[in-house]
Amino acid sequence: MAQLILGQLLNGAIVGTLYGIIALGVSLTFGITGIVNFALGVFMMLGAYAAWYLTDTLHAPYPLAVAGAVALVAAAGWIADQLLFRFTRNDLVNGLLVSIGLIAALEGTALLAWTSTPKEMHHILPGVFFALGLVVPKMKLTVFAILLVAIALTQLALTRTWMGRAAYAYAQNAEAAQLMGVHTGRLQTGVMVYSTALAGFGGALYASLYSLEPTLGSLYVLKAVEAAILAGIGSIAGALVGGIILGVTEGVGSIYLPLAFRDAYGLIFLVAVLLFKPSGLFGGRR
Amino acid sequence: MRTLAWAVVAALFALLPLAVHSDVVLTVLVFACLQGMLAASFNLIFGFTGQLSMFHAAAFGIAAYATHLSMEHLQVSFWIGTLLAACLVAVLSLIVGSICFRFRLREFYFAVVTLAFSEMARLLILNWNSVTNGSLGINLQEKPTVWWPGAGVVKLDGTVPWYYVALAGLALTLLVCHRLVHSWMGRCFAAIRLNDALGDALGINVFRYKLAAFMVGSVIAAVTGSLYAYYLGSIEPGFLSVDQSLAIVAMVLLGGRRSVAAPVFGAFLLTALPHVIHFPAEVRSIVYGAILIATILLLPRGIYGTVSAVLRRG
Repeated sequence: MAQLILGQLLNGAIVGTLYGIIALGVSLTFGITGIVNFALGVFMMLGAYAAWYLTDTLHAPYPLAVAGAVALVAAAGWIADQLLFRFTRNDLVNGLLVSIGLIAALEGTALLAWTSTPKEMHHILPGVFFALGLVVPKMKLTVFAILLVAIALTQLALTRTWMGRAAYAYAQNAEAAQLMGVHTGRLQTGVMVYSTALAGFGGALYASLYSLEPTLGSLYVLKAVEAAILAGIGSIAGALVGGIILGVTEGVGSIYLPLAFRDAYGLIFLVAVLLFKPSGLFGGRR
Repeated sequence: MRTLAWAVVAALFALLPLAVHSDVVLTVLVFACLQGMLAASFNLIFGFTGQLSMFHAAAFGIAAYATHLSMEHLQVSFWIGTLLAACLVAVLSLIVGSICFRFRLREFYFAVVTLAFSEMARLLILNWNSVTNGSLGINLQEKPTVWWPGAGVVKLDGTVPWYYVALAGLALTLLVCHRLVHSWMGRCFAAIRLNDALGDALGINVFRYKLAAFMVGSVIAAVTGSLYAYYLGSIEPGFLSVDQSLAIVAMVLLGGRRSVAAPVFGAFLLTALPHVIHFPAEVRSIVYGAILIATILLLPRGIYGTVSAVLRRG
């Protein structure tokens, strides 16, 4: 039993970091541009398919494929920002609906291009670790570590670089930041592109673990939005912790409670947090 | 003048089956009327009171299931079943609305919490196999009966009687929404939409009127759900999906959110479109996304808002 719980804890943590990296993007875009970008799930899906295509069809080495996928998705994010999201800045409802339109359009395109048959990537890093009586695939642990590093680097970039501090300043007080020389348009575009690149990165890593379907992103982005709210919008470490909490609740919860309601546990938790601490678990004031 | 124009429109729609005999066209119109009821009632909450509710599809779907279940287990007629379902949805929306508005959840947070509640309802219906038959849904064999002038009590079978039922439902919905929006209550709704803190300061009971709009809208969606299910002849958990809620939002935005009747226009367009132009499912999704994006970026006030602005200028 203890082993089962430990296993689910670990599994939940790994899935949770995937939620976390998307949640980070959700949190950043909401804080800086005032848009909840549900389309991040679709960018994750694009990243996953790009990585799969580059490794299995073009036979590129996996790390190169991940880099290529991130670059492609970032470019797509830039185009989406310039064509669409630029016009819905600070307009929550319109931004939401544009991102939903984008989901419908891109998922439809992906279905046309790759059909709904799941795609499997060949194993990049086969083999497993044995520890504490648990069997952990090597690739899963690698992905976990890489995602943690990516989130830590984002945190560093946001606190140590000029642009990162500008983003923090802008989120706190947009007008004052503008007066101090923060270029709003450039900052908002930068955040949109960075968050889509993160989603693409998450997707490219996802491709090495699970099979791919055009709709894979929708579940992840929903969880990511839950995680971002759970943690409190604007908190970087919070997005990660929120994601892990969600992943672990689902994993451990499904041992004791019916599996069918797995997706509901996070929702109940989320509603409770929103009602009693609207700023999120790690947020200060709202 | 306006009343006369509306009476003419209503009369034209009522006489339509005399001129149009195509079953396909009438079927599309029945669905369009029902979707129009959904869009108009949603707009009461979204367009007039400014609350982006994601509970609308849930109200619609819960009522569809509740009507069937009460007919089967309580042996009541369709109309009593619809009444019971509407009461159930009224109570549920009272609970959900009270929670959301008491805790002052706004904008995105309101949308997320209502979405969470409707997802929970969907998961419950999806997994409660013994009662709801899970993802397969239920086939509804029975047809509701109505009293028809000259024919007595008849079964609602065939497209033309259903067309009149749907049309009557739509007309009633529009009438209720119109009366509500143009009353003192409607002005309270507008105050809440424009600035709810200011409304509160002016002595408007913000909580009460938000709840009123939410409940009236949800109950109309509930009645629509019963009618829709029995016209279609089946119910499935997809009725409660997020996609269904978003489709309603798209209809309202396309039509225009500052008018009682404009969302119906959006509903007619989006319901008829797939029947007018035949696409494979994937392409339909792309076209739907493109319409949504184009409406928001190019016609932010919807067709009604844009056309009336052009008319006023010209």
